[in-house]
Amino acid sequence: MTSIEEMTEQLTDSGITRKRFLQSGGVLAVGVALPAALGARSAKAVGPITSLDGTRIASWIEILSDSKIVVRTGRIEIGVGMTATYAQIVAEELDVPFESIRLIMGDTDRTPDGGYSAGLLPGGGGNLRKVAAYTRQALLDLASKKLSVPTSALTVTNGVVKASSGSVSYAELVKGQELQLTIPVAGNLTGFAGLTVTGSPPVKSPSEYKVIGKSYPRPDIVEKVQGKTAWVGDVHIPGLLHARIVRPKSLGSTLVKVDGFGGKKFPTAKVVQKGNLVAVVSPNEWEAIAGAQSLKVKWSDWSGLPGSENLPTALRALKYSPATTGRSKRGDTSAFATAAKKIETTYYQPYVKHAPIGPYIGVADVRSDGLVRVWSHSANPQALRKTIATMLGTPTDNVVVHWLDQSGQYGRTTWGGDGPEADAVILSKELGRPVRVQWTRQEDHGWSTQSPASLTDMKVGLDSGGNIVSFQMDHYMPTSYDVRPLGALLAGLPALAAIQSPTVSPTSSVSTVFGYDKVPNVLESAYGTDTLGADSPSKIGLRGNIMRTPWQRQQNFALESAINEAAAATGQDPIQFRLKHTTDKRLTELLNKTAQAAGWQTRPSPSPKAQASGSKALTGQGVSIMIRGNAYWVGIAEISVTPSTGAVKVTKFTIGADVGKIINPRGLKRIVEGGLVQGLSEALHEELQFDKSTVTSSDWKSYPILTMAETPKITVVTIDRDDVGFGGGGEPPNALATASVVAAFHDATGKPMRRLPLKPAYVKAALKA
Amino acid sequence: MAQFTIAVNGKKHAVTATPDTPLLYVLRNQLKLSGPRFGCGLGQCGACSVLSGKTEIRSCITPVAGVLDKEITTIEGLPALWAQKKGLPLTGASKRLHPVQQAWIDEQVPQCGYCQSGMMIMAVHLLERVQRPTEAQIRTAFSSEGPSPHLCRCGTYTAIIDAVQRASKSMA
Repeated sequence: MTSIEEMTEQLTDSGITRKRFLQSGGVLAVGVALPAALGARSAKAVGPITSLDGTRIASWIEILSDSKIVVRTGRIEIGVGMTATYAQIVAEELDVPFESIRLIMGDTDRTPDGGYSAGLLPGGGGNLRKVAAYTRQALLDLASKKLSVPTSALTVTNGVVKASSGSVSYAELVKGQELQLTIPVAGNLTGFAGLTVTGSPPVKSPSEYKVIGKSYPRPDIVEKVQGKTAWVGDVHIPGLLHARIVRPKSLGSTLVKVDGFGGKKFPTAKVVQKGNLVAVVSPNEWEAIAGAQSLKVKWSDWSGLPGSENLPTALRALKYSPATTGRSKRGDTSAFATAAKKIETTYYQPYVKHAPIGPYIGVADVRSDGLVRVWSHSANPQALRKTIATMLGTPTDNVVVHWLDQSGQYGRTTWGGDGPEADAVILSKELGRPVRVQWTRQEDHGWSTQSPASLTDMKVGLDSGGNIVSFQMDHYMPTSYDVRPLGALLAGLPALAAIQSPTVSPTSSVSTVFGYDKVPNVLESAYGTDTLGADSPSKIGLRGNIMRTPWQRQQNFALESAINEAAAATGQDPIQFRLKHTTDKRLTELLNKTAQAAGWQTRPSPSPKAQASGSKALTGQGVSIMIRGNAYWVGIAEISVTPSTGAVKVTKFTIGADVGKIINPRGLKRIVEGGLVQGLSEALHEELQFDKSTVTSSDWKSYPILTMAETPKITVVTIDRDDVGFGGGGEPPNALATASVVAAFHDATGKPMRRLPLKPAYVKAALKA
Repeated sequence: MAQFTIAVNGKKHAVTATPDTPLLYVLRNQLKLSGPRFGCGLGQCGACSVLSGKTEIRSCITPVAGVLDKEITTIEGLPALWAQKKGLPLTGASKRLHPVQQAWIDEQVPQCGYCQSGMMIMAVHLLERVQRPTEAQIRTAFSSEGPSPHLCRCGTYTAIIDAVQRASKSMA
């Protein structure tokens, strides 16, 4: 969302950009006292001002003399369209044109609130909505005085306030005015969730919406398609050194000796070593790459991992601690013992990667005056700021994180780091020059964090009428909170996780929402354990992290697979089976609407034509649901399976979404399609491979993802509601695919599939079982 | 280090590099072009794709010394390429968009957008050869032509199919 032109201005500015921005941005609209307040703060910092005051209105919104409106949020565009939806939310509450909004995102010195960039409401969108509502009230008060009428007699259209006595624009109202409006905020700027705007200013009801509900285009896309966007990789600072890291032999190795370039000549390259962090730097990027590839380094041996092929067994043998139980806990699941029909199954999911197309890049400039500047695409820049400050043992005030676009993050940077930012900061400090670190494809696959593997034990008891009487889930997973920065771990610097969610246990969490409210006895539990290999000499191992739809993605696969198996075991249509176990009207309506759009054949599963052998392609249909973040989802897959080859193809996918009030219909459709593709990729292909020492999935051949040719025809069905608020639309589509595809496999073949992915070897094994 | 002259986006540029330096690093670091991007360095994803003449190539595995007699086009040069093809004035071409770029906006294709330069380059490559590609031809072009499939982790494949079809209509 930053153009190359803007970034170049930023780089040539000797101070901190925000200062220049605030002082020259035309008429400061609401709250001209801001620079003075910040001036007081600057005295104790190293010189520049490095954060904004979230209680001041001008930190959030400025109305310029030309009626353009600058809006600042610490949340960033992760690729799901916040640049449009945030602008729509503000435009709606202020009654100004969508096109008048200019968003400033992420930069820790130019935005007020911090926090992670996931969950539209009540996160960044909720903050902006309230700030806009507070601002509107303040502007109406000013207009009331100016036009000598009560605020109740005022209307606003396109930023112009009208009364019978006359009209005045917002820009005219605030010209030369100082508005003493304090925004009530709570929370911790550099904490996981950042600051939250509190209070309940009057907001519009959905029936009044004019901007929300329309498919405005994303402003960032226009620049992106022309090559005019500044990405993290495009930061060209004078004196910049390119670095490539030389990775240890294994995830647990330590450095023995750096042996040099093996006789090859790299005239401008230099080796930098700090602890186990070994890098080659050069002003010439290709020389840094070629030098790093040639550098001979001896590492200690380590082989403390179980190996991915042994993982299902190894996961069972780990020691777990109870984490949380689900919110649907009720009754007594000991009813399972006397149930007429019992389903007892275990589902296994492997480690999978976020696998961005572009390996992550970090740029850092650790200056001699103590100021640390970092360029990153972190989805939580304030948390990254805190992480870097913790690593260096410097006050947070000394660190500025500038946000720029980069390849998708899918949850990987929610806690702040997990790119090369720490590497770049350490190297820049050692060298006294700005350093750009780009991970290689192999590093990004092999050394970044991953979504942990899991085992889930399900017990479903049914009565003689085919009704579920008891439902129990026990979910086992290594930690997904290992956000220790890799650079700090290698260099032996403080790598404590500075940021943790206050709401969930440090190891795991039940994230499912159990939609079947007619089931009398329910118990969902999660159990967590440490990072595999964290006890190695390097203390690194297979660091687990959250990934798009965390926990619920894994847990819902098991939950919905067990529901499908229960329906199959009692000869009931899987959609009818779901409908009879819920009184939830949103779920019921969406199931019916999606089934109709898909042309669902109402019948028990497996199909009467199901068979587990032969070279003929078989077809099947399967369904799953998910409830998350005030949104409902239904996925219906149609697949073909060829038993003799184990080949599975998804031929059609119909996905139903009820996300409450839809803000941007076309934007929603696009992210639903995209998320689904990611989920289908996980269902069919993805499994992180590793041996006893290190990750062996190192590129797109050893870690294949879905291609365009493999993408099915996708139909998106939506329900738009005015009466339930906003729901999350960006996360769940990827989590719907797996259970639906597995159900369709069972339908086609009569054989359940209880492990992912559905690659030929596992498919053939399941068919023989 | 050696001096080379390469033709990029309609202009000749003198650059200094070792002959084995992949074109990608020359385009990005010496010509400061942001369109072609590093994805894998292995010719496996298409994020670095540029046009060599009318053919899509992977700049991460193409040495700079191998393109000295070629006309290279990145997404920054697509508007001028279109102007040239249609006989429009080259002056001010950069203010217009290539129909493929316009279709990418109209169909709201990019999510993170990192891979989309390569996707648009592939679309131009395809539309040079097949004026009205069917959906099947588009799927084949983006999945089976060249050194590897063009990969998108955000899963924008459906939007890309829509955009290529839209562009093909507006280019007719």
